[in-house]
Amino acid sequence: MATDDPDASAQQADETGEGAVDGVADRLGGLLADGPRVAGPLGGGFVVFALVLLFTPLFVAVPPGLLVFVEEFSLFLLFGLLVVGLNLQFGHTGLVNFGHVVFFAVGGYTAGLLTANAPSVGIGLGLPWPVGVVGAVLAAALLGGLLGVTTLRLRGDFLAIVTLAVAEILHDLLGSFQSVTGGGIGLLSIPTPISDLTDSANEASLITAVLLLGLLLVTYAGVRRLTDSPYGRVLRAIRADERVAETLGKDVFGYKLWAFVYGAAIAGAAGAVYAFTLGAISPGLFTISVTVTVWVGMLVGGPGTDWAVVVGVGIIVGFRLLTRFLNGEIPAVSADQFASVRLIMVGLLLMVIIRYRPQGLFGDPEELGVDR
Amino acid sequence: MELPFVQELIFGLVTGSYIAVGAIGFTMIYGLVNMINFAHGEFMTVGAYIGFIGAEMLGLPVLGALLPVMLVSAVVGWGLAWVVFEPLSDTGPIPLLLTSIGLGLVLRNGIRLVATPEKRFVNLDAPTFRFDDLGFFVTGQHLLLIGTTAVAVVAVHLFLTRTQTGKAMRAMSDNEALARVTGIETKTVRALVWLIASGFAGLAGYMLAVGQGATPGTGFSQLLLVITAAILGGAGSVYGAVVGAYVLGITISFSIAFLPTWATELGTTMAFVVLIVVLLVRPGGITGEEVRA
Repeated sequence: MATDDPDASAQQADETGEGAVDGVADRLGGLLADGPRVAGPLGGGFVVFALVLLFTPLFVAVPPGLLVFVEEFSLFLLFGLLVVGLNLQFGHTGLVNFGHVVFFAVGGYTAGLLTANAPSVGIGLGLPWPVGVVGAVLAAALLGGLLGVTTLRLRGDFLAIVTLAVAEILHDLLGSFQSVTGGGIGLLSIPTPISDLTDSANEASLITAVLLLGLLLVTYAGVRRLTDSPYGRVLRAIRADERVAETLGKDVFGYKLWAFVYGAAIAGAAGAVYAFTLGAISPGLFTISVTVTVWVGMLVGGPGTDWAVVVGVGIIVGFRLLTRFLNGEIPAVSADQFASVRLIMVGLLLMVIIRYRPQGLFGDPEELGVDR
Repeated sequence: MELPFVQELIFGLVTGSYIAVGAIGFTMIYGLVNMINFAHGEFMTVGAYIGFIGAEMLGLPVLGALLPVMLVSAVVGWGLAWVVFEPLSDTGPIPLLLTSIGLGLVLRNGIRLVATPEKRFVNLDAPTFRFDDLGFFVTGQHLLLIGTTAVAVVAVHLFLTRTQTGKAMRAMSDNEALARVTGIETKTVRALVWLIASGFAGLAGYMLAVGQGATPGTGFSQLLLVITAAILGGAGSVYGAVVGAYVLGITISFSIAFLPTWATELGTTMAFVVLIVVLLVRPGGITGEEVRA
């Protein structure tokens, strides 16, 4: 059976017929047990590979028909970056951040504002793109710090509301400050470092995907190093019972704050990559639906388990892709209706997961203390 | 002689009226079920569409549709809560909150699927009263909306202070365990609270459909305002929520009127800024968490 504790999850698995999922979790978990040690070098390898592809005459291209898969895969990797950061905040530390898209947006817009070279509306300083990446990470981390210092003393559900409100405020501001952010049109003419170096848009999207895969693995390895250490145990102690951690002499607020800042910085980096991939950004890219997708992915996978949350996001993004194709196959149903059906399914999935499998598909029920 | 600000004040009172009726239900659920219901906005949207069906498709008079709107919304909200939320009632606030987000997604998109994203209006033939000398006007719609809220607030007040059930509710939100020991059927009271809260949510949605038209996203777009009003007033206090709603409504209308042109879209943003400032000053919510009279 999947776990050592027969009456905990085995019984539940029998009742709900989810033994198979536990088996998968077990095998995947075993495969990824060496995660931090393998993922780091592997990720570095992918980054190098991407650079080799970029700077040598070696030409790779995907058939145009498969391009949509590559692009959707890149999106999954971006959301993977977001969920790794969010999981550090919620899964490990228990901070209910409902405004994660804020840090993604701040990263994207900082990168855009620093590097856009001739935006028709808004501001672009035309600086080199690496400055944009550094600026994006710093800006997101700084906002995370500011937000954390002021709000992390709030109760969980109030924290959720405040972070959600901050996301709405930023979204409104991005749309309103036309002279700075380009308003509803957004910022154009952001450099696209990868596309600029290849002649083929096709090749560029493949290299972007490889590079993102490398970045995700490196980030994953870094977060795993952090959470496997005694530091991570303190975070989980805070999640389990803040007062106990406090009693043990831990600086609870400091730990929470830094977990929040790290998660924000990762999202900021993801935002910068997004901006440099698209070459243009607008407020429409940074809506609450990003937050919802990442949250649902995290809950489906299993909060607190770093690889599981990435798999969870993969399931949600894969589901999007699947429904997109189905939509093409069934012409009688409009795209709008299909979008509605898709979101209904996501909502149902969220409700079912919380009710029947609160530890997520691959999470550890004992670890999360959700077994009932 | 023109009276300054009167027009903005009227708009603010109307906006506050929608928010107030929504916030009454939200704050009751918060106080008694100890849950932040993110699907409350969709409970409002349900009311808006039931109202549209009643008044525009079945031809009921606008005021005559009020009762069926509240009854159907109450039953729908209570039924959903019983199936979806009640089994999770001992898991703490976060799973309930997440589940309510899921329910909201399902309802919002279910309505969009059936009713299309088109905006629906409930038409009200009402005269407009112009006070050109004083520089403002009031429509029959405005008066109806403000009046409905006034009636609703008085009704809630009488219910909470004069009826046995209302008193039981207040006792329960003070101390649920004690209430149960003294013989209050807490489960029945909870069911009743869901009925009342959903009925008021439906009423708020119907008011929106009458006042400015409704889309499947109407309730969701009002949700943060409703939550803000509830927290402003001291989450759990019905009167506080009403006061908070009018403070917000007036803040929004004055922001729209007096902020520079680039910022006119920021009316609701100002409301959220108010919310954040309040929570920072009083991290646990403004006051206690009980439904008070």
